[in-house]
Amino acid sequence: MSASKPRAPGSAYMNPYLAGVGLGLVLLAAFVVMGRGLGASGAFSAVIAWLMDLVAPAHAAANEYYQGYLEGGTHPLKAWLVFEVLGLAAGALLSGLLAGRVRLSVEKGPRVGNGPRLAAAFAGGMLMAIGAHLARGCTSGQALSGGALLNAGSWAFMIMVFVGGYATAYFMRWQWR
Amino acid sequence: MIPKGIGPRLALVALALGAVALFSEPHRGPFVKLDARELGMIVDSEVDHVTPAELAAWIVEGRSDFRLLDLRSPEEYASYHIPGAENVQSPQLAGYPLLPGEKIVVYSQGGIHAAQGWMLLRALGFQGVYTLFGGLDGWTDEVLYPAPPPGDDPKARARFERAAAVAAFFGGQPRAQAGEAAATSQPVLPKLAPPAAGPVVPAAPRGKKREGC
Amino acid sequence: MNAPLYKYGLFGDEMSLVIAFVIGIGFGFFLERAGFGSARKLVSQFYLNDMSVFKVMFSAIVTAMLGVTYLGWMGVLDVDLVYLVPTWYAPQVVGGLLLGVGFVVGGYCPGTSVAALSTGRVDAMAYALGIFAGTIVYGEGYPAIKDFVNSDARGALTLPEALNLPWGVVVFTVVLIAVGGFYGATLVERRFGGAK
Repeated sequence: MSASKPRAPGSAYMNPYLAGVGLGLVLLAAFVVMGRGLGASGAFSAVIAWLMDLVAPAHAAANEYYQGYLEGGTHPLKAWLVFEVLGLAAGALLSGLLAGRVRLSVEKGPRVGNGPRLAAAFAGGMLMAIGAHLARGCTSGQALSGGALLNAGSWAFMIMVFVGGYATAYFMRWQWR
Repeated sequence: MIPKGIGPRLALVALALGAVALFSEPHRGPFVKLDARELGMIVDSEVDHVTPAELAAWIVEGRSDFRLLDLRSPEEYASYHIPGAENVQSPQLAGYPLLPGEKIVVYSQGGIHAAQGWMLLRALGFQGVYTLFGGLDGWTDEVLYPAPPPGDDPKARARFERAAAVAAFFGGQPRAQAGEAAATSQPVLPKLAPPAAGPVVPAAPRGKKREGC
Repeated sequence: MNAPLYKYGLFGDEMSLVIAFVIGIGFGFFLERAGFGSARKLVSQFYLNDMSVFKVMFSAIVTAMLGVTYLGWMGVLDVDLVYLVPTWYAPQVVGGLLLGVGFVVGGYCPGTSVAALSTGRVDAMAYALGIFAGTIVYGEGYPAIKDFVNSDARGALTLPEALNLPWGVVVFTVVLIAVGGFYGATLVERRFGGAK
């Protein structure tokens, strides 16, 4: 069993197995109460569809992808995932405050500048978004929720995430020097 | 012999639960339990019907709080179906996506398949199931080609005017004579013009939100 | 059998949004508890220093999987009514690969980026902006790649169905893989571990 190293100035992280069980129970609650799993990438899509509709409604109406979030009569931001992600932020903030881990900072290695790290973060977000939309979900939705339900596509997805991650790690070492 | 530490202990619990789960089957499957007496009483009380006039009123009002299932073959469905109906064959009823609390109306040509479908759905646990009284034959007779009333009763005449308007909505028309039997002359059923557009694909219940991530 | 509660009509759409927020709080809380509000900790998985990502993910999956199995078996949960994202093998495999790359390039995934930015990580904010940008790129490009996105469709497919194995056998196998993986992860951490 690995020991968790305290990180100054915050306190030690929770045992990963316990945190995992906690997460699993939250996921199970979603299954039992709502009949659906968790997610995150869908909330970002809903926001973009809403913005697109605000800024260029004709274009949004003509695009099948955005329409998927705009049709149906309800406001795109009144979506389950949007509220769930807002709760996510609140819950993370709560945990961070309790542990003294809240501070404005850039996570990176000591010998890397802010600029390159932020650029890489932005690029990573873009790549990941495209991947998540192709796969109809991200690690929360597909890997966790689909994994627990033994969804075939989710397991295939999850394996590829690890493959992609390990294949790229070598080339991204510079961010953490 | 219980190991120390959270990780190993959780692993042991997981292995034990997993081993027992080897014999699990969490899906309900097609096997059902019937309360024969309760169902018999419901059949007897005849609260499980919806008349063609009622159904026509719901559709004209634009109500979306019910599902309409057409249990006939795809060919029959394609040539004509009541607007908003979804085509399901009897073997598919067990796995068909229906929500537990939904109001479901089933119909077939005359009513036999509908009655059997009603029984299957009630056995599967759905409570709000209704058959269309008279089936599609009744629909044709009362809604599409309503007969004028005999005599001069003004109330009956007013009802007939309304029925004629409803018939026009669905692409039919009132019969000229009371005696004309729609069934024997086998009128041509209306073409699938609006509102009876193409087959209804139950992608998601109306007004339902996305459930993906 | 009266769960999933929402699908049995216990409450309406408005309440479901409140529930979404509450469930989200639990989700975000445990993510941050595990340290996943930190890109450094997350990518340590891929440098073999710290296998927490694997441990947390698979503990969560096993917990929820066993929960669904037992609740369904006992007749408490109607498993058929729990939404299963349909399977499209080709785009999901490619998507997973891209996501893995994006994970290591950016240091987060969507959920953890929200957890991190709410605790002040500026790089997570940059990552979230990237997600928005990537979503626009995808949306604009969607008409062109639509056929690929919808290719290789299998509908709602589970592993037991795909492998033609009983549900319980797959569940037990997943538990074995997870526990074996946890043991292996401990060994890997001992060999390569250390703060990065």
